[in-house]
Amino acid sequence: MSDTPLISLPPAAEAELVRRLQARDESAMTLFYDRYSAALYGVIFRIVKAEDEAEDVLQEALVKIWHAFASYDPGKGRLFTWVLNICRNLSIDKIRSRQHRVGSRTQGLDDSLTAQRQAAPTAFRPEHIGLQEITQKLVPEQRQIIDLLYFEGFTQSEVAEELNIPLGTVKTRARTAIKVLSKLIR
Amino acid sequence: MENIQDYIESGILEQYALGELSPAEQAAVEGMAARHPEVREELQQVQLAFGVYAEAHALTPPAGMRERVLHNVMAQIAAPAANSTPNASLRADVDAVAQNPTAPVISTQPVGYGEAVNRTLTPAAEAPARSLWAMAASVALLLSLGANFLLYSRWKDASSDLVALQNEKARFATTTTVLNRQVGDLRQENQVLRNDEFRAVALAGTKTAPTAHARVLFNPATHKVYVDVKSLPALPAGKQYQLWALDKGKPIDAGVLTAATATGEGLQAMKDIASAQTFAMTVEPAGGSVNPTLSTMTVVGNI
Repeated sequence: MSDTPLISLPPAAEAELVRRLQARDESAMTLFYDRYSAALYGVIFRIVKAEDEAEDVLQEALVKIWHAFASYDPGKGRLFTWVLNICRNLSIDKIRSRQHRVGSRTQGLDDSLTAQRQAAPTAFRPEHIGLQEITQKLVPEQRQIIDLLYFEGFTQSEVAEELNIPLGTVKTRARTAIKVLSKLIR
Repeated sequence: MENIQDYIESGILEQYALGELSPAEQAAVEGMAARHPEVREELQQVQLAFGVYAEAHALTPPAGMRERVLHNVMAQIAAPAANSTPNASLRADVDAVAQNPTAPVISTQPVGYGEAVNRTLTPAAEAPARSLWAMAASVALLLSLGANFLLYSRWKDASSDLVALQNEKARFATTTTVLNRQVGDLRQENQVLRNDEFRAVALAGTKTAPTAHARVLFNPATHKVYVDVKSLPALPAGKQYQLWALDKGKPIDAGVLTAATATGEGLQAMKDIASAQTFAMTVEPAGGSVNPTLSTMTVVGNI
């Protein structure tokens, strides 16, 4: 398949950014924002499903990334993986505290469908070619499971309960989907 | 752990990547990854896969967000260190100058303080002249700081313009890569369709699906097999179409059809088949089966 990742930062540029952040170079945050904000904002927005809250979470995440940067270990994984986890965790905390106030979780599912519809692309954007390719490669059941796990913050058992299928099936489908996804960048 | 494969298949690496595990469980996974290269490799794949999925969902933030967010972030990360950075203390000096342009300034000048003490007994007339000089010096300092600030902000603008341009360039490169890949796919399909060595095998619908219709392109010389769907019934959840080659009555798995192929979006390359007289498609659980479920045969055709 392709030899280029979709929108990832090349390793050398990533190492340079990491070095500057480790050296507490504040101006590196601007560079960081320009490189990663679209990817991070996309994930945050799909979890919290509201523009103003997504902006708050992104801001909170950037401050957290700055203060916690000493705990990032390049040996353990890519910078992108680390910052994605921070953003996902903050976003999921946000919706959980909201669900606490409002109530049921099924509400979240309905909202997610409307949010995806609202977020439909109006202009030609390369990131959506990526999305299209992925939609074609994953069968709908795999995509649904990955969406529930990744954007709704469901655990594998919760997905099994929500879709009324055995936990083993959830695990198999998730693993198959992950194989398909990781093949896309090989 | 005796069976690494079982461990990998257990789904715990996905749980790790999704942040579902407790700190103790996380540490256990990291331990496994450190001891077993297969686990480490697999964990990286899982994390990479979620990264790809995230990137594919990238959204350009709304206009004006960049300035707001960066401004607030910078204010928050700079605040605790305010008194230690040279910039901040410079600013404090400027503020002091601006608030009280006379007496305190002299005391901050390196030469000023000691002399002022020594000369307490000199005639009072000299004082106004000194403060005039001091005022002139502070004005010069202010002007210089102003100019520096102007140059600094221009330099900042230029460097953020550069970043924006680099991003634009990277984005174009991504678009080009994706388009190139799509052109490559189309070219490959075109070659298959124009190649005389490929035999088109029409697969007609069976009793279960009389209107179903598909085509297999089979090259007996290179053993390549492509499938081209015209129309197939929609699948129930958790099922996939699987293509089979029948060689002297024995079924050979030729691979499963992706959702896109099954809806007729284009050709799909299947597994190589050495020899076959008949091709058929059945409905199997997602991922395919070892042996065909004959009752679900949807289309079939002989070479």
